Parts: sequence; C-alpha cells; structure tokens
Amino acid sequence: MTPSDPPFDTGKRVAAIDCETAVRRLWDFLDGRLPPQSREEVEAHLATCVLCPPHFAFASSMQRALAESVPTVAEGEERLAERVRAALRRQLGAPDDSTR
Amino acid sequence: MTPQSGSAAPHHAPQEGDGRAQSAVAVEGPAVSSFERLTMPHLPVIARFARSLTRDAAAADDLVQETYLRALRGWHTFRDGSDARRWLFAICHHAFLRDVQRADVYVQPPDDDPELESLETAVAHWRAQQSGLADAAERLDLGQAINRAMGTLSPHYRTVVVLVDVEGQTYEEAAEVLGVPIGTVRSRLFRARRMLQDLLFDYARDAGFEVTHMPAAKEAIK
Repeated sequence: MTPSDPPFDTGKRVAAIDCETAVRRLWDFLDGRLPPQSREEVEAHLATCVLCPPHFAFASSMQRALAESVPTVAEGEERLAERVRAALRRQLGAPDDSTR
Repeated sequence: MTPQSGSAAPHHAPQEGDGRAQSAVAVEGPAVSSFERLTMPHLPVIARFARSLTRDAAAADDLVQETYLRALRGWHTFRDGSDARRWLFAICHHAFLRDVQRADVYVQPPDDDPELESLETAVAHWRAQQSGLADAAERLDLGQAINRAMGTLSPHYRTVVVLVDVEGQTYEEAAEVLGVPIGTVRSRLFRARRMLQDLLFDYARDAGFEVTHMPAAKEAIK
C-alpha cells in the first residue's frame, strides 16, 4: 500500500508512513511508548489505511483479554496467609500460632 | 534487625547459599512484625503472580511460601522505603526460575528484534485474516484461550507477559524484577505476544476451522 496523507489538514504536518513502518510500531503504539511525533504518524496512517487497523484492533483485544486473565487463587487467601505465617515461624524456631 | 534505610536503589533478591541471608534467619520478634507488616499485605498479588507463572494451584502455593521464606532470610537486604511488592515479585521470579531449572526445562531465549516481532505479528494476523482464522479466533472465548496459551509459553516469555500485561507493571519495573535491561523486556514481550497470537489462531484451527487460502503476506503488507 502506498503512503497515505493525513485525513484532513490541521495546519500541522505529520509525516506519512507506509504500512510496514506502522505495524513495526504496533506494540510500542499500543503500550503508549512511542514519542509524540511517531504516535501521530501511526494515528494518521490508521485513519486512512484499510489494511492496518484490524491488526491493531486484534492486538489490542488480545491485550485486554490478557489484562483480564487474572487467575483466582485456589486456596483461600487467608488460609494461604496462615500457612505462610506458620512457615515463617517454623523457620524462626518460634511457636506456631496456628497449632495453639 | 531492620531493613537497610536511606536508599531507594535497586536491591537484589536473596540467593540460596548467601551467607548473609542464612544469618538473617535469626530475626527477632519485633522485626518479624515489621516484616509481616510490610510484606503480608502483598500476599494476594504474589499468590496471583505465582499462579500465573506456575499454572498450578498447589505449585503456586508452594512458590508463595518459598518466596516469603526467602524474603525473610533476605530481609536485611530490603531497603527501607523501597517497593516491597516489587521486591517480592523479584524473589518469587527467582524462586520460580530455580524450580524451572531443577525441572530441566530452562531455555535461554534468543535476542529478538522487537520491531521485527511487531511486523511479524501483523503479518501473521494478515495471513489469518486471509484464511478466515482471524474471524474464527475472534469468536473464541478469548479469556479461556489466552489462559490455555499462557500455559504453553516458556517461562521467560510467560513471566514478562504476566508482569506487564497481567499485573500492569511498566517495562522499567519489569526489568527491575527480572534483572534484565529494558530492551530485553521489550523484545521478550513482543515475541511472547506474537506467540500468543499464533496460538490463538492454532486454537481457531483446532476448533475445526478450514484454512482455505494462504497468500504471501509479507508481499501484501508492503
């Protein structure tokens, strides 16, 4: 695909980038780690390109699914905390409160 | 005994065989209170981290216990005012890697080119779009598929995804936990995400979706 112009003229020039340049910035863009100018270039490209937005959208939805994939702790937190406290006391040679 | 004070400089997770760590076992009562006060509030997040790393409830609980025992042995290395949660993350990660090395499944990841990984991610997605797999993947229960895919990643890749994408750590924080440069975090993370995306497409294919057309994606993306 050929380089695209920004969707409208804001008076501020954003360099046109091609698809390969845009997708090379995919994860840095989604992680918010691009410098402002590079970010604007990607945004301008995505606004006019028909090929690249689906790649970014799928990657973004995968990131959201990852963020929501927090596992539940099988053993209750309090029970695990008691187990850990008991192990700490055993290591210290101190009386184990949980056995009293 | 009290934690070191006056510095927020990075600290290291206590290692086995560290003589200073062994001497720290002689922690006295008030210090135990201080240790527990600063570390126990983080137990739920450490338990979650351990579960994400091990993918096994019993192994995760064992890892949490080992993390806290190591932390207690290394309590004298903790710098007062620094981030206890990140310190525990680092200890948990070291303990996990030790377990992995014992199980002989440790593989040092190669140095990857992050931008090339980004490009390959898009190319793989483009190819999946052409074959219809991308649509099929979007119809998957993404959460369940991600959970399954995470279990197949090798430990180094899984750890960085858990830290950044699941626990919301910055690259800088993850680098400190892992003890690697930020560039390594970035390259491992991008590679891991590409592998996860590939696995999602594999699952879509396993779900019975027929691949119909596989054009040359790299040519099309230029």
